[in-house]
Amino acid sequence: MKRKLLATLLCASMVLGLAACGSSAGSDSGATANTSGAGDAQATTTTDDGASTDAAAIDTSEHVKIVYMTTGGAPDPASSQTDEMLEQLNAILTEKVNAELEIYYIDWTDYLANYNLTIAQMDGSIDLIGTASDWLDAWPNAKKGAFLPLTEEMLQTYAPKTWESVSAEHWDLCKYNENIYLMPEDNYAQWTNHGYAYRLDWAKEAGLADGVQSWEDLTTYFKYVKEAYPDVIPWDSDGTQYGQMVGGWITSHSDYVSIDGINSGAMWGGSKDDLYTVYSPYVTDTDSLVAFAEMMKEWDEIGVWKTDVLNNTASDNREDFKIGRVAAEQHHTQTWTDLCSHKEGYTIYDDDEDAETGFFYFGQETGNVVALSITHGAMAVSAASNNPERALMVYDLLRNDPECYALFNYGVKGVSYDINEDGMRFLPEGYNSATDSITTNFWWGRNDDLEIKDATMNWDAIEDLYAEYDSIKIDYPYGQFVPNVDSIQSKIENINEIHTNYMKQIAFGKYSGTAEEIVAEYQEALKSAGIDDVTAELQAQFDALYK
Amino acid sequence: MGKGKAVAASATGGKKKRGIRETLWKYRTLELMCLPAIIFFFMFSYMPLPGIYVAFVNYNYQGGIFGSPFIGLQNFQFLAESGKLFELTKNTILYNLAFIILGNILAIFVAILLNEMRSKWFKKVSQTMMFLPYFISQVLVGILVYNLLNYDYGFVNTILVKLGLEKWGPYSDPTVWPVLLVIIHLWQQTGYNSVVYFAAIMGIDAEIIEAAKVDGANGFQKIRYIILPGLRPTLVILLLFAMGGIVKGNFGLFYNVVGTNSILFPTTDIIETYVYRAATTEFNFSRASAVGLYQSIIGFIMVMISNFVVKKIEPDYSLF
Repeated sequence: MKRKLLATLLCASMVLGLAACGSSAGSDSGATANTSGAGDAQATTTTDDGASTDAAAIDTSEHVKIVYMTTGGAPDPASSQTDEMLEQLNAILTEKVNAELEIYYIDWTDYLANYNLTIAQMDGSIDLIGTASDWLDAWPNAKKGAFLPLTEEMLQTYAPKTWESVSAEHWDLCKYNENIYLMPEDNYAQWTNHGYAYRLDWAKEAGLADGVQSWEDLTTYFKYVKEAYPDVIPWDSDGTQYGQMVGGWITSHSDYVSIDGINSGAMWGGSKDDLYTVYSPYVTDTDSLVAFAEMMKEWDEIGVWKTDVLNNTASDNREDFKIGRVAAEQHHTQTWTDLCSHKEGYTIYDDDEDAETGFFYFGQETGNVVALSITHGAMAVSAASNNPERALMVYDLLRNDPECYALFNYGVKGVSYDINEDGMRFLPEGYNSATDSITTNFWWGRNDDLEIKDATMNWDAIEDLYAEYDSIKIDYPYGQFVPNVDSIQSKIENINEIHTNYMKQIAFGKYSGTAEEIVAEYQEALKSAGIDDVTAELQAQFDALYK
Repeated sequence: MGKGKAVAASATGGKKKRGIRETLWKYRTLELMCLPAIIFFFMFSYMPLPGIYVAFVNYNYQGGIFGSPFIGLQNFQFLAESGKLFELTKNTILYNLAFIILGNILAIFVAILLNEMRSKWFKKVSQTMMFLPYFISQVLVGILVYNLLNYDYGFVNTILVKLGLEKWGPYSDPTVWPVLLVIIHLWQQTGYNSVVYFAAIMGIDAEIIEAAKVDGANGFQKIRYIILPGLRPTLVILLLFAMGGIVKGNFGLFYNVVGTNSILFPTTDIIETYVYRAATTEFNFSRASAVGLYQSIIGFIMVMISNFVVKKIEPDYSLF
């Protein structure tokens, strides 16, 4: 009897053991690495405090390596230009702060999971972390203790130029629980509101003299392209576009202003005339959603995308747009500024001199455009970094030193770029993008004071659109709102799941039954998952902050 | 180990004091051979046990497993709140049952076929070819299946169109996936699984088969009365082990083949894929561990039940 009991217990603990190490994969290794990482961070913070009392005597006697982590694929190993640029940059960095820089790339495939996983290692292998409050998990990571809280003294001592260039209000937007966690990219003009880039010349052929002005025009456009250019796929979308599509539709058909950083669907927000009353258009705007579902069914029937769009992961739509294989690209304005310019390898402009790329932005019909949050790009310091003060010094140079800035953003002058008599950038003769371009993905500290304009860009078109935006935009109103979602996290996760599953079917017209039925079913599921509780909780937090 | 002790105890008889030490010494070679396995299980199964605690905390990097705030069963609440727990568990178990039952039947069948093959050359070649899919990464399997089955330019549809037939759209039809997934799984695993049974057949005493031949048994009788009963212990043990993992889905296969195509979820969503989608962006260790614990507890119950059943029917074959 005893033996049986023993065997049972052994068996139980073996199966449980599997639970602890098997299915939760990273958890244990992450956890053990963490404890030591946290200890390190604490140790270094204490030394910082000591150092900051005596700002003049920054000890840089030891040569250190600073690793900067960014999203985006690593450069092609065949191209050594990034390494060469780094070599020159490191010579300067060594001279100025006795440090060298290394770049750690997080490839776009499953980037969010890999990004968070790399941060979670907390073993001191990463120092600077490029992050964002809307499209990367800046706040969740800050809350989990992955980022080092930056004191004012630290910033003043080690990143003085950055400290000065960012205004006090902007620093406030980078605080969580009174601590600064992010250094924002707040002096860089860019628009990342989404929309469709399309062939303006084809739209005109389709009878849209002013180009695409509405979603209905897009339908006309796609229909025309399908008939007139049978070899072109109107839009070779992959299955991940559903969220932007429905979000864009809602922006175009209401005054909805979403709150960033709650879930990827940005399903909660206020309206332009009543910013601080939280609602979810996905629950309230039923008629609009039904109309969306119907139009997308029509698009699916036209053949805008491939039949198996939901399993299509191999789409290379943006590259295909440049060479005329597709007729539209859904992305943000910044991407369009590239697409509308006649750059090297954009064969649509070589093949057809009438070719033009227009942009239909979400919210065009209602003039609903929200300017970018300043933490759309920001730099954080890893809490596990062994040299946080040197990391700050390096960042300060990358962001504010003209020489370092040009090297890090544009590469070696004469090889990767050159400057013409107007002071604009152009590609030198014999430039080959495969070997002469650099990849640093520095989207966390660009600086308009040091930017050199790209002469190949279609600035006429771009500046027209920017002016239009400036005339209608409102500033992002919720910069200071860092929601505390602990109590509603499980509801939000289930809502994400419902949103994803239904919206994929709705946005690609793959649902069975009528549009009314699928939208009703979707909203019913949202309600039973507790979307109203989440709205109420967010409202309570809003009231506490804004009233 | 238990048996060894029992035997040793009866052998040494009355001298109980020196019994254990003597036994340990007597079986030192066997113990030494066991040592790597014991160390392995100790390090990877027993040492991480306290880590189960992570399923009950709100994990943060600074606090680590034991420093993070305790939140009780909140991590399990998420699974319950989804309202899908039953459906997910059902899908996971049904798929695994299909995999286990069909997988073993097919593996035994293949092993017997291999055993009956006369040409050594052909036997080796077919064994290798069946074994190969096992080494293909699930990611590639996913791409392979997509290129075979997709609607616009898939291999199958190209042929159907050439034959003047109508196109087939499995990626928008959830009903066909249980069959497809089982087929894919069997294609990948059968070669590997059959090796175990093939080895078991090799282990059957050749004299028995000789004797049967002398008695005039034909090929089928040989299989029916000698080989199949000879495989029974192997089958029972493999089934018992498989039972422990019956609520653990084959994430690689499902995620790579089905992807995030929500049209297919009613028939293809398993616990792993659901948790992956819901928690991947949050990177929530605690929640993942909570799910792992839930799966392990059910796995443990399944092992106990099946062992109990086996013991009732065939006491010799039970694990304990």
